[in-house]
Amino acid sequence: MRRRMGPRWIVFAVAGFVLNFPILSTLMTAFKGPNEVNRNASLWVEAPTLENFATVLTISDRLNVYYYLWNSLSAVLIGAILPMVVAFPLAWPMVRRGYGRSILFPIIVNLRALPLIVFAIPLYMMYATLGLLDTHLGLGLILAIVNLPLTLMLLVNAIADLPIELEEAARMDGARTGGLLIRVVLPLCRPALITTFVFGFITAWNEFLFGLMLTTSEAVPMTVGASLFFATSGGGVQWGVASAVMIVAALPPLLLGLIMYRRITGSMVAGAVKG
Amino acid sequence: MSEIRIENLHKSFGAHEVIRDISLTISEQEICIFVGPSGCGKSTLLRLIAGLEEATSGSIMIGGKDVTHLEPYDRKLSMVFQSYALYPHMNVRDNIAFALHTAKLPKDQIAEKVAEAARILRLEDYLDRRPNALSGGQRLRVAIGRAIVREPAAFLFDEPLSNLDAALRADTRVEIATLHRSLNATSIYVTHDQTEAMTLADRIVVLKDGQIMQTGSPTELYDNPANVFVAQFLGSPKMNILNVQLGENVITIPGHKEIIFPAEAMPQDVQLGVRPEAISLVDPDQGQFTGVVKLNEYHGGSRTVVADIGVENLVTVQVPANQSPHIGEKIRLKCSIENFHIFQTNGQRFLTDSGKFLEAKLSDFDK
Repeated sequence: MRRRMGPRWIVFAVAGFVLNFPILSTLMTAFKGPNEVNRNASLWVEAPTLENFATVLTISDRLNVYYYLWNSLSAVLIGAILPMVVAFPLAWPMVRRGYGRSILFPIIVNLRALPLIVFAIPLYMMYATLGLLDTHLGLGLILAIVNLPLTLMLLVNAIADLPIELEEAARMDGARTGGLLIRVVLPLCRPALITTFVFGFITAWNEFLFGLMLTTSEAVPMTVGASLFFATSGGGVQWGVASAVMIVAALPPLLLGLIMYRRITGSMVAGAVKG
Repeated sequence: MSEIRIENLHKSFGAHEVIRDISLTISEQEICIFVGPSGCGKSTLLRLIAGLEEATSGSIMIGGKDVTHLEPYDRKLSMVFQSYALYPHMNVRDNIAFALHTAKLPKDQIAEKVAEAARILRLEDYLDRRPNALSGGQRLRVAIGRAIVREPAAFLFDEPLSNLDAALRADTRVEIATLHRSLNATSIYVTHDQTEAMTLADRIVVLKDGQIMQTGSPTELYDNPANVFVAQFLGSPKMNILNVQLGENVITIPGHKEIIFPAEAMPQDVQLGVRPEAISLVDPDQGQFTGVVKLNEYHGGSRTVVADIGVENLVTVQVPANQSPHIGEKIRLKCSIENFHIFQTNGQRFLTDSGKFLEAKLSDFDK
């Protein structure tokens, strides 16, 4: 029996519009010229122009959007991949042997509850001593620490969900702990690893506080760089250019999310056990 | 292939003792079945032999070598898990070859062994599939394939058929029996299903509460159960147990006439065991006791009749399908005394002074 789908679609459309209004508004503003921005606040663009994007994407002597993108990308990749490298070998003994379950795990997970500003002053002084200020590695390391709790939590859950028989079978078949981790546990954790990578990437990409605090010129990330576009020629905020740079800054995590979405939801253990 | 010897094995999880002082020898090429109700410790015993659990005390020897403290792999055993435990991220070929890869065998040898196993188990057409694209029976065959390529000292099976539907289970049981005959491998097989145990086993080990109740061939256990537990666990429908009085050359079922039972024993209360198939329906002027039909189940080839013989005693009788007493009918039952099993009130088989099972002395009876 066919249901009337009309009303349902209206609800979806309204919800979609309301929830995405800020994004739509920013997107439309990016296509408006400087005069139109002040006159026309509606979503409709009267005279669409790529002028704002051209301004953003052109390298000036003061601003270089490609440089900010590159800085972000290198710091974010460190910040997303390093926690997985650390957390995976930590998560397995936590789940299977109970090591660190009672003290280490809660401490790491509760890092997430702390306001990050708490780290600001000691971290700045530490970085200054170590020469990590204004470097990709320095920014990447602190992003890794920001991501570590969630990564560990997701991996602990993923490993706890793996049927223990798979590991027992591998042990019967001669796999030692290393081989077991690499040949059985790691491949089965792939969906969890992809999920943590995507979440870690997005969190790190959107990070502003440490980017502002720990970088000055060499390693300025996109989030901080974007803010520099807002007021270029002294005369207040250029809304069109600001919108265009926001769209450019939002594209990489958006694309990543779209590409990885299907993989996040997939499960690896289907068919492992039971008939 | 090797003999497996277990001596005074104990296993506790915290204060809970799961395996209590088990000693057992499984001879070469034998298929030995551990059977018992859930929680009897049969799977734990298998896992102890496999090395997946560590024994609290006692020792395990495989082929004369003490393996009690060795890693699972070094015991050279293969195991088929209840859930099959196939690696879901690998195709059938890699699943079967996993142990060969970890043993770092040359590639051509691996290919040869996998092909041989696939041929035996009729998996040739499925080698490139992932486990989730296989049926339950095929998954079990992959799990068996993974076990046989290693040419282990012995095979361990942990309830391998319990995830299959009834029809497939019967077929696969026959396949396993055939496979065992062709490989001639020492095998230990855990099940809670007494039919599997009776049909597959060279030897059955009946376990209860972490202790061995009795060990022996299926016929030994069926014909001469050492106690009421074994008597009732094997055989379907299960053996009838009645509280009776043993007198001088008679047995009295409460509420019924004495049955002549010439035997060497002092008068006392005992438990009388009679298998349902040893009792038959007879004409009213024959037989030993009378009952009222409570239930009449049709099984196709036979019927199971449950009769109330008074004093809170119910008796299950297996009769040919054409004998169908209606519910409430009075029936006359007969059981020849050579089919009587006499147990003490504590459940142990009644032993005479000379250490033999108490049985009717039929030579006396004939006079």
